[in-house]
Amino acid sequence: MSFEAKNEAGYTVVSMDETRLDASISEPFRIYLFDQIDSGSNQVVIDLGSVRFMDSSGLGVLVATLKKMAGQGVLKLAAPQPAVLDLFNLTSMNKLFTITPTVTEAIEG
Amino acid sequence: MDILIVEDARDQRMMLAVVLKKQGHRIFAASDGHEALGILANHSTIRIVISDWMMPNMDGIELCEAIRKSDIGRYVYFMLLTGKSDRQAMVDGMNLGADDFINKPVDFAELNARLNAGIRIIELKAALENKIQTIEKDLESAAKTQARLLAKPARIQQVDFNWYFKPSRILGGDMFGYHALDEQTLSFYQLDVAGHGVSSALFSFTLNNLLREDGSVPLLKESVSEPPFYRIKKPDEVLISLNNQFQTQPEAMLYFTIAYGIINSRTGSVTLSQAGHPAPLWLKNRSCTIEKIAGRGVPLGMMPAMTYDNITINLQPGDRIFLYSDGVTECENGDGELYGETRLESLLAETFDHSIAEMIAKVERNLVSWAGSDVFMDDVTYLVLEWQP
Repeated sequence: MSFEAKNEAGYTVVSMDETRLDASISEPFRIYLFDQIDSGSNQVVIDLGSVRFMDSSGLGVLVATLKKMAGQGVLKLAAPQPAVLDLFNLTSMNKLFTITPTVTEAIEG
Repeated sequence: MDILIVEDARDQRMMLAVVLKKQGHRIFAASDGHEALGILANHSTIRIVISDWMMPNMDGIELCEAIRKSDIGRYVYFMLLTGKSDRQAMVDGMNLGADDFINKPVDFAELNARLNAGIRIIELKAALENKIQTIEKDLESAAKTQARLLAKPARIQQVDFNWYFKPSRILGGDMFGYHALDEQTLSFYQLDVAGHGVSSALFSFTLNNLLREDGSVPLLKESVSEPPFYRIKKPDEVLISLNNQFQTQPEAMLYFTIAYGIINSRTGSVTLSQAGHPAPLWLKNRSCTIEKIAGRGVPLGMMPAMTYDNITINLQPGDRIFLYSDGVTECENGDGELYGETRLESLLAETFDHSIAEMIAKVERNLVSWAGSDVFMDDVTYLVLEWQP
């Protein structure tokens, strides 16, 4: 599993080289995201462009990260594929996150 | 310790046996690999083999390979005796499964020290196996408890309930239930705790206890001052209080999705509220059509202060509601393709003339054939109710 963080216009853009965000990688991903926040990132975009399938543990990581930020800063989700978007709709994630079709819109929005 | 010595030279074999017997070990002896395999098969207490390398029929390396490949049911610590001091031979032997080497002629102090190292490993392994067995027994007994907690298929006040439940590993995070709240109102629910295993199962037990209440806990009903002196809470109120009660720490993200509903058994009126759960399906008996009872909502335990919607539908006699966990639609076939909602709905469309039990069996058969296995990656649960006034 490989995760990557880049700085773009004041945002930390986190992406991953994974097509499944499920129980097998959700814990390392959580640790990676928490490390980013602990080291001072408070404007974070998670680029989900590579993720074709997300399960409940993947969703849990996104919300855990939001809770970890405790209202200090911004967490946006970008570029979800159709199956991931279905999951976000079913679970009303738009009530918790800003979700944008692309990373660029997340940064400029 | 029971030790098997495998050595074709009779004098060497005798000498080793005498020395090791003096150390308090029980010794078995064989003159080649074939004989050794026979002895190992008949004496399950033998945990250490000391074998010569060069032997007729089956040599030490072949014996080691044969033991590693065999279904012997225990770990055998394998020590190879060799006159070869060549390093490559030792590397090859270790790669083929030997645990240790002793050079010939045997230095008995060294043999003893190496034997003790082997015994330590065997004892550690035995202790570990023992602990694993204890844990597995506990898990099995927890799974039995979980199975006992499940509501039995039942007809309550003109509503028939039946279900299918299959946890992914011994213990599941799915739970469901149904019971009467008064003489004309029944509650029913299906929930799915994120993740599997012990923590999810424990959490689902707790939730089940809360939702199975008999009226003493004010989650589903509250007291009022006017007759009948209670009020049955609307499903969204129930979800809101569950959500506020179960806020978790970010590190231990334990949350659950749920569909919770109440049905009036006299009128067939159903009110449902959902928190991130797959939309239950309304199977309309007269028109033989299926409608999703669409509802959304943030799963419970994720964020405080969320609100939920109530959706009310009116069942006609013979109508069914099919509630399911995402383990059904996310069941994968060999190519990683998901079973999906469309397949589920098409299948259910063929079940209008089936009894509930037949319908449940049909869905199971279809899922098993899709997955190519009756062991699923995720918990698979569905709950069916039919209003039959």
